Amino acid sequence: MKMRWSAWVLAVFLFCGFLLPLFLKGDPREPVAAPFSKPVWADRTQAPAMSLTVPTGEAGKTFSWSWEAPRGLSVTGEVLFAKTPSKAALIWETPAGAKWVLSDLSGQNRWTLDLDARDMAFRISLGLSPFDESLRGLFDKHGMIRVRIESDVPVERSSLLVKIPGERWGLFGTDQRGRDVFLLFLYGIRVSLFVGILAVLVSSLIGLDAGLVAGYVGGAADTFLMRTVDVLLSVPLLPVLMVLAALWGKGLWQLVLILGLFSWMGTARTVRSMALSFREAPYVEGLRALGAPTFYILARHGIPTVLPLLLANIALGVPGVILSEAALAYLGLSDPRVISWGRMLHEAQSFGAFTTGAWWLLLPPGLGIALLCLAFMDLGRALEEWADPRLKGGRA
Amino acid sequence: MIEIEGLSVSYRSGKKEEQALSGVSLSLPSGQITGLVGESGSGKTTLVMAILGLLPPEARVAGRILVDGVDVVGMAENERDRFRWRRVALVPQGSQNAFNPVLSIGSQVAEPLRVHRGLGRREAERRARMLLDEVGLGSKAAERFPHELSGGQRQRAALAMALSCDPAFLLADEPTTALDVLIQAEIADLLKRAVRERKMGMALVTHDLPLASGLCETICVLDGGRLVETILAKDLARGAKHPRTRALVAALLEMEGNLS
Amino acid sequence: MRPVKRYWTRRLGGAACVVAIVLVANFFLFRLMPGDPVATVLDPRFSPEAKAQLEALYGLDQPLGVQFLLYLRRMATFDFGLSFSTQRPVLEEILERLPNTLALLVPAYLLSVLLGTVLGVIAARRRGHLAEKAVLAAGAVSFSFPSFFVQMVLLLLFAYVFPVFPLRGSLSIPPPEGTWRILADRIWHLALPVFSLVLLGFGGWALTVRNLVVKVMGEDFMILARAKGIGERRLLWGHALRAALPPLLTLFLLSLPGVVSGAVLTETVFSLHGVGRFLLDSVLGQDYPAAGGAFYLLTLITVGSNLLADFLVQLADPRIKTGGEESR
Repeated sequence: MKMRWSAWVLAVFLFCGFLLPLFLKGDPREPVAAPFSKPVWADRTQAPAMSLTVPTGEAGKTFSWSWEAPRGLSVTGEVLFAKTPSKAALIWETPAGAKWVLSDLSGQNRWTLDLDARDMAFRISLGLSPFDESLRGLFDKHGMIRVRIESDVPVERSSLLVKIPGERWGLFGTDQRGRDVFLLFLYGIRVSLFVGILAVLVSSLIGLDAGLVAGYVGGAADTFLMRTVDVLLSVPLLPVLMVLAALWGKGLWQLVLILGLFSWMGTARTVRSMALSFREAPYVEGLRALGAPTFYILARHGIPTVLPLLLANIALGVPGVILSEAALAYLGLSDPRVISWGRMLHEAQSFGAFTTGAWWLLLPPGLGIALLCLAFMDLGRALEEWADPRLKGGRA
Repeated sequence: MIEIEGLSVSYRSGKKEEQALSGVSLSLPSGQITGLVGESGSGKTTLVMAILGLLPPEARVAGRILVDGVDVVGMAENERDRFRWRRVALVPQGSQNAFNPVLSIGSQVAEPLRVHRGLGRREAERRARMLLDEVGLGSKAAERFPHELSGGQRQRAALAMALSCDPAFLLADEPTTALDVLIQAEIADLLKRAVRERKMGMALVTHDLPLASGLCETICVLDGGRLVETILAKDLARGAKHPRTRALVAALLEMEGNLS
Repeated sequence: MRPVKRYWTRRLGGAACVVAIVLVANFFLFRLMPGDPVATVLDPRFSPEAKAQLEALYGLDQPLGVQFLLYLRRMATFDFGLSFSTQRPVLEEILERLPNTLALLVPAYLLSVLLGTVLGVIAARRRGHLAEKAVLAAGAVSFSFPSFFVQMVLLLLFAYVFPVFPLRGSLSIPPPEGTWRILADRIWHLALPVFSLVLLGFGGWALTVRNLVVKVMGEDFMILARAKGIGERRLLWGHALRAALPPLLTLFLLSLPGVVSGAVLTETVFSLHGVGRFLLDSVLGQDYPAAGGAFYLLTLITVGSNLLADFLVQLADPRIKTGGEESR
């Protein structure tokens, strides 16, 4: 059999969801950059995140600047002079030639700096407006910027670090708390796959049993089970799930159980119709005539008969469950500590993705869900064709 | 008068090419009944469908089919709709599936009247009831649905529908198959009477040689997509030349012998 | 006419069953779950007397059996009590929001069914053409894209990038003056939600119609219908679609519960003042009377629409009247 595209997609998702996080450093829950940073590839006029060490020498650190003025800047670290300087300062030279004193370092031979452009005092000391967000005075035009320590005594040691959080970060940018969306996306794969596959396994197990009993045993059991299916199909699913999720708890296992309990109806119907024809098959009638117990017939012959189609059903059932899980999480009915794609969309909506136009918070989780669902549907089709070769080509 | 000249029909399924009809030439004269006899797979139904242009799109048709001198083979669908039912009508096998299951018999009989004759709903349905009465169903049948009728009743309704626009020619496709013997005879009588009264021509497609020999003047025997013999019904017993015809006749005689 | 009676006995019995199960489930789910409902509205510093008073107000001090009977009586008269969070009658809150929900759902589903049917029939006729490919793609999208995600993207596009439509709400704040202005303002607020539901809904519907019509086109009676020379239009709409109507209606009936889910999500994305959003807020805020009432009413509406659709199926399929095959 030719490898379907869906198989590749699933393989990539499995790799990204379960193996890749092992090699990537960093906790997805920790902020890594400024909130709402765009992806690095998105807007080239915005500054990327930077961090520069300021060396001890007179020349200092020179770097080229070719973006718009950023909103954030911080300087942290220690400076140790050989002896107490009478006159020393941390100097910022802009491309236009202006000279700013970021911090006065005179009168003390050891300095610990912790400057941040968000501090009002620091802004005012630089002559910047406390209301204008961007640091236009320090980044007055494109060109070379120099940061150096100017003093009348030699600098013995410096661990000064200039950090510009930038407006662009990582593959998918950052969210409202400055967390890496790419990492969140990777961790979200796990939840979708875990909930999707386990819940469908639960529902298939229920559907298989119900369908076999209804179709093979028939009678009152059939009537009861099919009535139950009718009832479950005519109740609005999402509100039921919402109420159950809110009351039962929002953990992943509860979610698996709830989703499994409410999505076995289709499988039951399919299995039932197969069991009906299975019951009439000559070799099954023969087995019955020989006095084989019902359980034996079903376990030994019934399940293998329905298994191929059941597998297809499992694959085709995953998208529905993934979508339900995402919907619940999107509505805020999921554990806030668990990272999932639905939760990412929920946070995007709640924390102003629309008022800031943060499209990079929407597209990765949304397209991830869609791609995963499409892949499972394609896989299901392939399994269906494998189970019933007549379908090949017949379906467009 | 329908003349068929060198008609070949083939189906392409994948890489295989299947020949359903090869080089069939025959004529179906007006005012008489011509039998098209053959076993299933001999191509007789394909022939009927080709005349009405009802072959599936993947069928490839060569040759000519002249309906009153006009070639209908390469016709566009909307041109065909102008001779369908007005000139040539179909009497299908009256199985449950021949009629649209959700429309009443009356509306299905009236439909061609509304389209081809431009009649209003009320007038068309009045005529439909008359036609249903004429084929012995009674005008009440108009309100009924296909699944409520028996096989024989459906066959009568199918005839009423075919007669609705006074066509010059009827194509009857296995009109008596799957009916029990008494009803078969009734339907055969009905067909014969209709053709005689309205001076129509008819092609009777059947695998039932006794029926064909009872109804038809001329019989065309098809086998494996070829026309193997054209013979007058009265010469059937002695004059058959082709082995296929002889085999059919032998079976017929044997059956008659068994009966008597 | 016995078969018709049997059909309706079954349908009405099923509907009653659903309502009964929802009633019982509603009662026990909201009462037996961990967490003291009164505790959620009460400040812990309240005196025990005040607490008892409040419990009496909500009937929580009675034995469970009595509570259940009282509950049944209240449900029958649509008396859902006072909302914990707003202290207004729940029914009042719901009725205030219901028009908004209906104004969203009815046009959206009518349009998507209409568009889906037309496109589905065209796709069935022009197999392999662009129309069919478009329908197949739209169907795949509506089955695999999260609806709320598509709606969020639309919102971002048409309310942020191209600010044509409002970002949120059912009505501008403050509302404009004059009946016509208010109406126009409501339509402006509803346009994008309705459009998004149509966009999400028509694909699946078109795919269903296309599949059913393609199946019908292969039936024997379509050959006879074509032989009658009645023209392509009558053939498609009068015969093929008409014959596909009973199963289509049945599928429509099965899709009705999903409509309610669509309302919850759509009203959340677009911050609409509707019943679905009300249900969500009550569930999140553990406002039991409100959540129970909204859930019960939504179920009643679904069951009612189901029965209506059943009635339509019976009208469309003569075989039910005389006990032919059941279409479901």
